[in-house]
Amino acid sequence: MSALTLFFLASLLLLALGLVGLITRRTLVGLLISVELMLNGAGLSIVAAAKLTPSSDIHGQLSALFVMGLAAAEATLVLAMIIVVQKRFGQVTTEEISSINPKTDKII
Amino acid sequence: MNQIIETILGFLKSPLNALDESLSQSLPDQSYAALAAFAFYCLVVLAGGLTAVLSRNLVRAMMGLILTFLGVAGFYLLLACPFLAFMQLLIYVGAVCVLVFFAVMLTKNSAVGQEQNLPSLSHIILGFLAGLAPLAILTPMIIKHAPNYQITPEPTKTSLLGRGLLSSDVVPFELISIILLVAMAGAVFLVWRKKPDKKPN
Repeated sequence: MSALTLFFLASLLLLALGLVGLITRRTLVGLLISVELMLNGAGLSIVAAAKLTPSSDIHGQLSALFVMGLAAAEATLVLAMIIVVQKRFGQVTTEEISSINPKTDKII
Repeated sequence: MNQIIETILGFLKSPLNALDESLSQSLPDQSYAALAAFAFYCLVVLAGGLTAVLSRNLVRAMMGLILTFLGVAGFYLLLACPFLAFMQLLIYVGAVCVLVFFAVMLTKNSAVGQEQNLPSLSHIILGFLAGLAPLAILTPMIIKHAPNYQITPEPTKTSLLGRGLLSSDVVPFELISIILLVAMAGAVFLVWRKKPDKKPN
């Protein structure tokens, strides 16, 4: 089993953990944590593919840096959304806020 | 800057180097040391990830997330990308985790939160099945079809990364700065209090 396979399996582990968290978590903060896990797995697989194959090393590392920047931007926006949801509805549970009356902003 | 990074990383890697040296005396091949380090980082990632996903306390879940980030930084060190490992610590542990912590704090669900009441057992089992289904497809595919190169990763100079950012990858670099700016402005706009007489939040 080559090193590339091992690193791909590790990033696959991160993806699976993130997916399980995305499905079983009940609050928006938990979902944010799971998404960060999956993004980490993506970055790891990009770097492994760049370093352990003859492809361009620099481009792989830069792509991983871009993934990190996108993750930071995404976390900022999700934090703002969570604050807005918390202010309006008083909770961030996914099942409770999944059905909202658009006219009155009340949870049905 | 490079020297500082190398000093810090040398400090971080020193246990690994010691392991490397002790193993190289008895073994002709150093790949066993790398394999041991890989297994250790895998354990760290697994433990951290399981805590992050399954813990009912969100602060504890965040600690698991930090542990996972540290493990992934270790993977980057193993792949000879010290700059990426440093950035991983700086951006994820330094910035993203603080943001998540703010989210936990501002929604007031750290200890007695809405994550406390467990979902039903069938929900958890179905969640695991649905989450692991892609794994069942992708794992055999990777094991079967991943290209088999015998390449030892060589460290790249950080100056080459900077040069790449300003020459070949300048468009994505500028785009990501625009995205960060827009995200920040959007976040400020979203939580802006509409009443003019009160201080903006």
